[in-house]
Amino acid sequence: MKQKALYILVLAALILSACGGLAGGGGQPSVVRIGWASGPDSLNIGVAWLASAYTISELTYSSMYEFKLDGTLGLDLGTKETASADGLVYTYKIRDGVKFHDGQPLTAKDVAFTYNLVMAHEDFPTLHSYVEHFVSVEAPDASTVVITLDQPIPNIASKLVFLYILPEHIWKDHSEDDAAAAYENLEMIGSGPFKMLEYKPNEFIRLGVNKDYYGAVPKVDEVIFQVFSSSDVLIQALKTGQVDMITSVPNTSVETLKSAENVKVVTGAPLSPDLEDIIFNMVDPANCPTADGGLCTGHPALRDKQVRLAMAYATDKNKIIEIVKLGLATPGIALIPSGMGEWFNIEVKDFEYDPAKGNQLLDEAGYKDANGDGIRDMPDGSRPLTFRMNWPSSDNEAPRIAELLSEMWRELGITLEMQAVESDALTSKCCPALDYDLMIWGWVADPDPNSLLIVPTTDQIPTGYNETGYSNPRYDELFAAQGAELDKDKRIKMAWEMQQLVHDDVAYIIPYYPYAVQAYRTDRFTGWLDTETKLALEDPSSLTIIEPVK
Amino acid sequence: MNRWTYIRNKAIWSLFTIIFVVVLNFFLFRVLPGDPARQGIRDPRLTPEAIEAIRIRFGLDKPVINCIQTINPFRAGSCEINPLDTQFFIYVKNLLRGELGISFYYNRPVSEILGERLWNTILLIGGGQILSIIVGVVFGILSAWKARTPLDYGVLVTGLVAWSLPTFWLGIILLFWGSTHGFPIGGKATPGMSSYPFFAQLTDMLWHLLLPTLTYTIVFMGEYMLIMRSSLLDVLSEDYILTAKAKGLSTFQILKDHALKNGMLPLVTIIAINLGFTVGGVIQIESVFSWPGLGGALFEAVSRRDFPMLQGGFLLIAISVILANFLADLMYSYLDPRVQTE
Repeated sequence: MKQKALYILVLAALILSACGGLAGGGGQPSVVRIGWASGPDSLNIGVAWLASAYTISELTYSSMYEFKLDGTLGLDLGTKETASADGLVYTYKIRDGVKFHDGQPLTAKDVAFTYNLVMAHEDFPTLHSYVEHFVSVEAPDASTVVITLDQPIPNIASKLVFLYILPEHIWKDHSEDDAAAAYENLEMIGSGPFKMLEYKPNEFIRLGVNKDYYGAVPKVDEVIFQVFSSSDVLIQALKTGQVDMITSVPNTSVETLKSAENVKVVTGAPLSPDLEDIIFNMVDPANCPTADGGLCTGHPALRDKQVRLAMAYATDKNKIIEIVKLGLATPGIALIPSGMGEWFNIEVKDFEYDPAKGNQLLDEAGYKDANGDGIRDMPDGSRPLTFRMNWPSSDNEAPRIAELLSEMWRELGITLEMQAVESDALTSKCCPALDYDLMIWGWVADPDPNSLLIVPTTDQIPTGYNETGYSNPRYDELFAAQGAELDKDKRIKMAWEMQQLVHDDVAYIIPYYPYAVQAYRTDRFTGWLDTETKLALEDPSSLTIIEPVK
Repeated sequence: MNRWTYIRNKAIWSLFTIIFVVVLNFFLFRVLPGDPARQGIRDPRLTPEAIEAIRIRFGLDKPVINCIQTINPFRAGSCEINPLDTQFFIYVKNLLRGELGISFYYNRPVSEILGERLWNTILLIGGGQILSIIVGVVFGILSAWKARTPLDYGVLVTGLVAWSLPTFWLGIILLFWGSTHGFPIGGKATPGMSSYPFFAQLTDMLWHLLLPTLTYTIVFMGEYMLIMRSSLLDVLSEDYILTAKAKGLSTFQILKDHALKNGMLPLVTIIAINLGFTVGGVIQIESVFSWPGLGGALFEAVSRRDFPMLQGGFLLIAISVILANFLADLMYSYLDPRVQTE
């Protein structure tokens, strides 16, 4: 009897909850459900590492600038920017009447507080780098912010865009010493178009519309980001309509999704463009960072530009893209991805695929097969051209790239010893130890090209960011100059020359710049921005304008 | 030796094992290459000063233990420092106060994360374990009882198939089938249910729990069926069973009073081992059904070099394994009189 009662109770609850579910789906509140592979690591943006933490911050906070889908930065919270003639003082006017989610006003004091907080906290690892040359930030009145720098810096907008404005009245109790980094910030009070409703780490995030938002108020009531730990499941969730959009589609699922009903697959440049790179250990023994743990065990042949050039000629990028990315990428040139717009040098002419030319280059440089084993040897016969090839084991595409490269380069008489290495272990092997021959890895770009341009500079060999050990005085000179150049056109010219230099010296072979691939249901919401230069359906640009299908 | 001495000895051994694990856990993960302050990320925005600030915040700037500054790469340090200024003794001190530290990665107290995750895992393996034991034992007995009949062959084949099914594959098949039949496609709850009444939330969770539990049950029941069957068959061929039969006892009585207690012994061991280890997470089931359990958390922690999470998590697993074994020993002392008299 007791059991029966329990059974009926459960059944009743089930029916109740089903009704509740129906009311939610077909009735008043419109809820966008987004599936993604992992949620943010922390809601405290100061200590967060993952891109998903920034995605949520874009929706819940506002900042001085916004990062637009055409790749440019425009004023958002700020209404007017004035720079002093020497480029050392920037004065901003900000919007009036902006409110935080808890109803408190957002004034210039909050802006100054936020910037000062980041300046004081070296333990905000990524954000702190954006305030590198900031001397002071003040708020003389409620709508004016004055930033003083110790040297002129180009593109200040790219520094401020990720410095989301935090409410002083909440964070002032969590600003001293370790307290700021330790603060969990679960309420996530900001002033963006959405506010935090519910956060279940590793499960989901529920955001609700901010009716007091100063910009276009979103037309949907709620946005839910739900974590699905495998990509097959993500695809199935979209197909069966359990989510309305997924933030990334694995290449192998594109075809199946394209044939699914009411689903649209879209591609474009990623919001933060990225690249896959083949890295040569070409460090000059004179530049070996021994004091910082440098071992510099690279194969001597890779220090010879002729060898690297031959390998570049024998690399069929189109084939790699066709097989590894199923066509969903563009061939790469240098470290600045094409998705970075004007910063990308469109004039660099790539080495055309021509293995015969590669062989000819190696013959001319004296790399003959001395012992007849089919593998070329050093000109002095000391060792064969057998290179170690490593990649981080978390990279799903690298093994297939390596396999293809091994085939392509065998035509040159070069063999590879291939091995995946766990990424932390690979870091300690590569940078700055330079204890490898070849690697496959990748980079992700910031809105400003500086973070990628800095990679091949001589100064970065000991820090480990210059993974190849490339060193070119002209490049270093240009890097220093562009970092202080306020004239954008001149700076672009420098960035272009730097790309040409690295390409001509074959420090890297960049097989491709991948597309962002996303998908959404066409029977739930309309208005997704899928035809812009960049594709980011999870960005406020889309989520503030989509509306339910009628 | 009476039962209490037996239990006391087992308890002392368990305690020693835990202390050993506490020490091992600390050094084990520090042998791995890599810097937890960087978390496997190479990012030019990360200045050496920022990395240093993180190291100080996490206490990684302190020597690992007297005489050793860091383990990988190995660097010797001063031996004449206050032990309480070393990472090891700070870890021990905090542990004695019941503190597991702050996760490097999630920036939250480890005990809080482990608590949530452990509860989720218990929900998942609790139901699954009970169901698989019931199914396994019942069909194991039936099969041994009706040996060499179609029923027996049926159980044997089912058991073998279930045991050898790849967990991940079975999970994904069930999930794909379920997702087109109204089942949720993963996770622990429907987002937005928190404003609903408790009962609706509970049903929602049970609804989410159904397919993962089913996967778990199928995967584990095969093993239990087969072991139960073979160990019972063994017992049924003993002379004392023949005697019981000769005395004219019914088959049911023979099973209940004479065979089952002995036949259960191997199963108790297997269940105890499974229980202990699955607390560490059934990572394949978790990852198919996006279930936020312990397995996924620990897997992530290894790749992030999240020392406090790893230390806490592995301590938890060790305690579970030891506890489960301790319980099995207790069961043994009850089931098998020889254990008490040895």
